[in-house]
Amino acid sequence: MLPLLLLKTAQKHPVLVELKNGETYNGHMVQCDSWMNVHLREVICTSKDGDRFWRIPETYIRGNTIKYLRVPDEVIDKVKEEDYKRDEKRPAMARGRGRGRGPGGRGDGQSGGRGGAPGRGGRGRG
Amino acid sequence: MSRKENALDLAKFIDKGVRVKLSGGREVEGTLKGYDQLLNLVLDETVEYLRDKEDTLRITNDARPLGLVVCRGTAVMMVSPTAGTEELAQNPFLQEDGA
Repeated sequence: MLPLLLLKTAQKHPVLVELKNGETYNGHMVQCDSWMNVHLREVICTSKDGDRFWRIPETYIRGNTIKYLRVPDEVIDKVKEEDYKRDEKRPAMARGRGRGRGPGGRGDGQSGGRGGAPGRGGRGRG
Repeated sequence: MSRKENALDLAKFIDKGVRVKLSGGREVEGTLKGYDQLLNLVLDETVEYLRDKEDTLRITNDARPLGLVVCRGTAVMMVSPTAGTEELAQNPFLQEDGA
C-alpha cells in the first residue's frame, strides 16, 4: 500500500492534516498531488495549543509542511478494491505477495489502536 | 498519479483577498495578483499580522503594512481565501460530540 495511493483514495473524504508547526486542519480533501500538496474544503483550523479555531471555506496546503494526515478507516478498503482492479489487469505479477490482510476490512475494532473503534477522539473527524 | 498533476488552482483567487501562512510563522494577507507553478505569489496591499511577543505562535490583530510583495514559493505553507474565514468563539468539535 503506497501512502500517496491511500491519500489519493481519500479524496472527497474528511481528513485531518497536522502541519509541522502543530496546527491541524480538518476538512474534506478535494484533491492531492504527488507532492502531497492538498486542497481542502470546509476546513476547521485548530491552533497548536488547541484553544483557537477558525472556519475556512477552502485551503491549499503545501505538502512539505505536513507532519501527518488521518484518513477515515473505510478508505483503506477502497484502496484494496483499486489494488485488485489493477492486479486483474496485470495478472500473475504482484498477486499474493506481501503479508497483507485478507479481504474484509481492517482489524476487528477491538484491537484498539488509539481510541478504539466508534467515536474515536473528539478532534478526529472534520 | 501523473507527476504533472497539481492540486493547485489559484486562478480563482486572482484579485481576491488571500491569507498566506509562511514557514517560520509569519502570516500575511493581501490581494493575489499573480502566482506560478512553484507557488511563488505576488500579493498587493499586503499586511502582515504580527505575533504576540511572549507567545510567538499566537497571531494578534496588530498589522504591519507591507505593500506589494513577492512571497517565495518554498516558504509558503498555506493559502486560503480571506472571504468566509472567521475565528470561532468556541471549540466546534465539542458540539459535534454532544459533550
